[in-house]
Parts: sequence; C-alpha cells; structure tokens
Amino acid sequence: MTYQWQTVLGYLPQYLHAALLALRITVLAFILATVCATVAALARNSSVGMLRLVAGVYVEVIRNTPVLLQIFIVFFALPSFGLHFHAVTAGVLALGINVGAYMCEVFRAGIASVTRGQTEAAQILGLSRRQTFVFVVVPQALRNVYPATVNNLLQVLLGTSLLTAIAVPEITGVAIVINARTLLFVQVFLMALLLYLVLSNLLSLAAAVLGRVIFRPPLPIGFVGPRLPRFKRPGRPERAVVS
Amino acid sequence: MNTDLIIESLPQLLHGLAVTVGLSVAAIAGSTVIGLLVATARTSKLPVISQLGRAYVEIFRGSPLPITLLFIYFGAVYYLGYSLNLFVAATVGLSLYHGAYVAEIFRSGIEAVHVGQREAAQVLGLSNSQVFFSVVLPQTRRIVMPPLVGQYISLVKDTSIAFLIGTVELMKVGQSIVDRTGQSVPIYLSVAVLYFIICYPLSVWVRRSDRKVVSQ
Repeated sequence: MTYQWQTVLGYLPQYLHAALLALRITVLAFILATVCATVAALARNSSVGMLRLVAGVYVEVIRNTPVLLQIFIVFFALPSFGLHFHAVTAGVLALGINVGAYMCEVFRAGIASVTRGQTEAAQILGLSRRQTFVFVVVPQALRNVYPATVNNLLQVLLGTSLLTAIAVPEITGVAIVINARTLLFVQVFLMALLLYLVLSNLLSLAAAVLGRVIFRPPLPIGFVGPRLPRFKRPGRPERAVVS
Repeated sequence: MNTDLIIESLPQLLHGLAVTVGLSVAAIAGSTVIGLLVATARTSKLPVISQLGRAYVEIFRGSPLPITLLFIYFGAVYYLGYSLNLFVAATVGLSLYHGAYVAEIFRSGIEAVHVGQREAAQVLGLSNSQVFFSVVLPQTRRIVMPPLVGQYISLVKDTSIAFLIGTVELMKVGQSIVDRTGQSVPIYLSVAVLYFIICYPLSVWVRRSDRKVVSQ
C-alpha cells in the first residue's frame, strides 16, 4: 500500500502542473464568462427587440445543450469555418461561453432584485437613467449576485475536467495517463479527487474572504446598499480588553 | 449544409437518443433515492450520521463528474474482475454524483417545513417514518420541485459525459458519425437539437413554476 502511494506521489509534479493549468483555464474562462454574462444581461434587458432576441437565443441554446458538445463544437466544428484553436484556447472559449449563459441569468436576477423604490428614489433625486443604473442598481445587484457568481466560478473549475476529451493535460487527463502507466487506479484517482477538493475549497474560501472585504460595511464609495442600524446585543457584558 | 447526411444518420442518432433517455430516467430515479437518503441522513439528530451525509455531499459537489465515472468504471474492473456494463456504470456514476445535489435540494425543502408540523404530528402519535413520509415530505413538494427538475435537466445534459468512459449514447453516436464521415457541423448541430428538444420544455416548466413559487 505504501509502495503504491509512493509511486503515485512520484507523479506529484505532473499533478501540480495539471492543477496549475486547470486554474489558469478557470481564471481565463471565468473572465470571459463574466464579459459574456454582462453583455448578454444588458442585451436581454435592453429596449431593442433584436438584441433581446439574440441574447435570449444565446442563453437558451447554451443552457439546454451539454457542455461537452459545446467543447466539441468549438474544437472540432469551428475549424471547418476556418477558425482553428489550440485545445486550451478552445477549452477556455467553450467554458467561458457556457458559464456566461448561466451567469447572465444570475446577473439578471440580481438586477431584478434591487427594489423598485431604489430606482424611483434615485430618479426623484435627479439622477439620469444611466446614473441610476451605474451608481444605484449595479452596486446593490453585485452584492446580491456575489454568492451565485462564486458558484459559477466553481462550475468553471469542475468543467475543466471535461477538457480531457480534447486532450488538454489538466488534472483528469493527467490522471488517466498516470493510471494507464501505473494501473493504480484507486490512488491515482483519489489523488485527482483530492486536488479538485483542495482547489474548489480554496477558491470558495478565497471568494468568501474577498466578499467580506469588498462588501464590508462601511462600503466603498458609490455603494448605496441598504444600511441597517447596528444594535448592541442586550444583556451581554463588554469583554475586558486584554493586552 | 449536408441534409442528406443528417437524414441518413438520423436512425442512429435516434437510437443514441433512446439510450440517453433511458440513462437519464434510470439515473434520475437513482439520484432521487440517493438524494432522499442523504437528505434524511443530513437532517438526522445523530451527529455521526449527519456528518457522514455532509461529507458525501461535500465530496461529490467539490469534484467533477468524470472522476466519479472513472472511479466506478475502473473500480468495477479491478474489484469485480470484469468490466461493468457501461450503461450500468454510467447510471451508478450519475446517480451518485447528482444524488449529492438532489440531497441538498431535499434538505432545503425539509428544513423549510415548520417545526410545528413535525411536533403536531408526533403529538398525534405518528411514528417517525409516518411523520417524515406523510407530513414533512408532501409539504416540501412545492418548494422542492422547481430546483429538482432543474437538477434533472443538468443530469440529462451530463449523460453526455458518459462518453468519456465509452457508453454509447447520443454524444458517442454523434462523435462516431463525425469520425467516420468527417462532417462535423451538421452532425453536431443535429445532436444539439436533440438535446435541446428534451431540455428546453423542462426548463420552460421550471421557469414557470419558479415564478409561481415566488408569487405565492
């Protein structure tokens, strides 16, 4: 048993390399997804019918077909239109476009979650529609949307495992190769599982800390979220300051 | 666009679709059973059991589906000595994986039922299982159904990942036609349309009933 683990641990550099690649793809695809989602969400809420239609089709088509198929289309079908991509680039594109569609709906829900009174109040205060959106709606929407967006980030991370189908050497792909070489499937795939668990937990922890910092009250300039009065809890003596 | 090729390969694609549907139905049943079991474990009063349920959910939600599928596929070969039927392996993998997500949906539903309901049922002399199945579970239905069907939609789409262990379903059928003919665009589009036909009505239903839950 220990011998087997030693063998697999000998492949640690390959694993870590693969994890780094997976993280890089995750970050790039997430950035692309955010851009897609923002554009699509604005288009779906726009007053131009054509834009609404295009964005709606994008979201519905992407959300109702498998990611794996989308990856294959980007990697195998787009070359017949003269668009050739490296496997990693194709992976980033496919994952970004895919998760962008899910995030678009999140963003829209976030915009809708800002109560009507806020926009009305802003308009009465003389803000233009654009100012209302940028300074009143968006900051509050961002705060409501943040947790769901973190889920989307994890969705991208776990989605990178599918890129093994187009031979991207990320964690799952590397594990399959090591398994073929050593035939120690328990250790090999446990190692991969562990890496995914560590990565996803690290990402969500980092996101939680970041969320605390960004959305901490006193909020940054321009943040007009609801500020609730802070009450001291009654019946609890002040703790003596030690130091 | 090569329409002849699409018409010619339609029977094969429809056969793949039938396998995908069968796989989806089997995995939906499996994941629902597992999800219910894990959700009851998570809401259990015994800390050991609830922690085990929690570990199950955390592990499957923090790892990708291919890993689960590969584990089951290779595990069967190594431990049973023969390779599992690929359909069965995919069903087990999908059920285990999506069971974790379904469990979270059920748990949120169970926890949304007011404690008073449970207490009242206990006072009336119902046994623990009666309380759960006749009082708590029926009340979760309204809250649980929209996200549950949403989860089933992602399960249907995830059956395509069984491609990685070689299950011959819609994705695999499509890919082998592409490999044979070299015509990727029409085949991928047909495959996409077939998935869309299954998933779109379900997502429309989810959106509608979601709105209903919110407005109530």
